[in-house]
Amino acid sequence: MLVLGIESATAQVGCAIGGHEGVLASAHSSRAKRHAEILTPQIDFVRRQARIELREIGVVAVDLGPGLFTGLRVGIASAMAIAHALTVPMIGVASLDLLAFPVRFTSKLIVAAIDARRGELFYAFYRPVPGGVQRVSEYEVSSPDDLASEILAHSEDCLVVGDGALRYHEVFDGLRKVELADFGFAHPNAASLVQLAHAQALREQWVRPWEIVPLYLRKPDVDINWTTRDSK
Amino acid sequence: MTDMRILGIETSCDETAAAVVVNGTRVLSSVVSTQIDLHARYGGVVPEVASRAHVEMLTPVVSQALLEAGMVDGAKVDAVAATVGPGLIGSLLVGVSAAKALALVWDVPFVAVNHLEAHLYAAFLEEPDLDLPLVVLLVSGGHTMLVCMEGHGRYRLLGQTVDDAAGEAFDKVARFLDLGYPGGPAIDRLAMEGDPHAVAFPRPMKNDGYDFSFSGLKTAVVNHVRKHPEINAADVAASFQEAVCDVLITKARRAAREIGAKGLCLGGGVAANSQLRERMLDACVADGLHAFLPSRAMCTDNAAMIAAAGWYRLASDGPSSLDTGANPSLSLAVLDP
Ligand SMILES: [Zn+2]
Repeated sequence: MLVLGIESATAQVGCAIGGHEGVLASAHSSRAKRHAEILTPQIDFVRRQARIELREIGVVAVDLGPGLFTGLRVGIASAMAIAHALTVPMIGVASLDLLAFPVRFTSKLIVAAIDARRGELFYAFYRPVPGGVQRVSEYEVSSPDDLASEILAHSEDCLVVGDGALRYHEVFDGLRKVELADFGFAHPNAASLVQLAHAQALREQWVRPWEIVPLYLRKPDVDINWTTRDSK
Repeated sequence: MTDMRILGIETSCDETAAAVVVNGTRVLSSVVSTQIDLHARYGGVVPEVASRAHVEMLTPVVSQALLEAGMVDGAKVDAVAATVGPGLIGSLLVGVSAAKALALVWDVPFVAVNHLEAHLYAAFLEEPDLDLPLVVLLVSGGHTMLVCMEGHGRYRLLGQTVDDAAGEAFDKVARFLDLGYPGGPAIDRLAMEGDPHAVAFPRPMKNDGYDFSFSGLKTAVVNHVRKHPEINAADVAASFQEAVCDVLITKARRAAREIGAKGLCLGGGVAANSQLRERMLDACVADGLHAFLPSRAMCTDNAAMIAAAGWYRLASDGPSSLDTGANPSLSLAVLDP
């Protein structure tokens, strides 16, 4: 079964296609703020690189967030439309799970941290398990200092991964037993998404396109925009 | 020419909409999911709330539009058109992303549509034989503009509001009078029981060029009600509405006369206002102008007008690129006269 994976939760936007043979093709771009312009041609490019037709796709996987709302929705809206048009099911995976997955070969406690802007991070804790990682906390949103305190409370070796960790590296640099993963692991990866979703697809753990629910972790800001209101 | 079925998608503000229209005129389906209830308690549109609702509603709304058009799997869609601006950036991007993705999967053209231009095509859905040149009065919560239309895609801006949009003035006055949200329909209803000549509110810039100004009128309403707290709210609503319509219609008629226009076209959410519709039809009869007036359902944001405008755009400019993004401050394209 072929899986198309789309992720756009951070400053990076990417997609990948894969199946039982592994990942056939993938592409990523981190020229921020242009997710909508980049993503549609990128899917077409990856589709051609994978040498398949879109109608061969059996499942569409998408990064559910948390992340930057506007970019996140570009990926989710695109993925839902593709699944709808192909009449195939969908699999949603959290951005933080995608961040933790590529560093699963560590023996340390993994902390995935995404930049949430406004001086905060989205984060979660994971333990490596055979074949992947297991989340051992809730998805949280809080300040880098709060996360540093939580890490210290665990009093064990930690590997901190993600663009949020890198942005606030000075908060984590001085901590004992804490290692920071470099920028090669900074963003959720569409290839990891395809890999994780393919395993779920084999167990038919999927939903219909309209059942996909983004993980925002924050209530919407309520500032009314009079000037652009255009109806009634 | 073979029939062309266009799926239109509209998510620029607080309506999630999808429609299937044949050849820019025959509406097979038009589904609108409004978010009015979501935003009512804030008294205006909250951008992040709107964007979240678009993500949630778009797939069901597109499904419904295809189903009602008898095209369950979208197999017969010939092109997908979507609003790329103007509007709220986060909301626009939901519709643009989904539309491009559908076009990619179905291997059909994607067409980028200007929301303002689409409001004109709401009128042409029912009156496809244009009588050019036309004077277009576009009035909504975000825009108040007077445009000379010389052909498909050929517009000359005559004037626009220098402060509040007409629909914005309706919303603000309704809020002040405690009539709830959205303000336009509330004032329209209440005004029917009031005397439009009860209060002589100012007619800002009525005989002065083609620009509009409504913020002073709103202030005049507020000051008058504060000075006369016992006044009948219906009289205030009717008199305010009369002042707005008077300015709009006077300027549109003068523009039509000076340009030698053959017709007058009304578009945008405020075009659903009963008094404005009546005044416009009267003016057209009096001045011998062809009236282009969308049905009420087509005045507020919908996707049938997007599909219709998309059909004309596709015919004149061809498909839009799949790397098209959203443009929140897109203006009505003005071509060389
Ligand atoms: Zn509109």
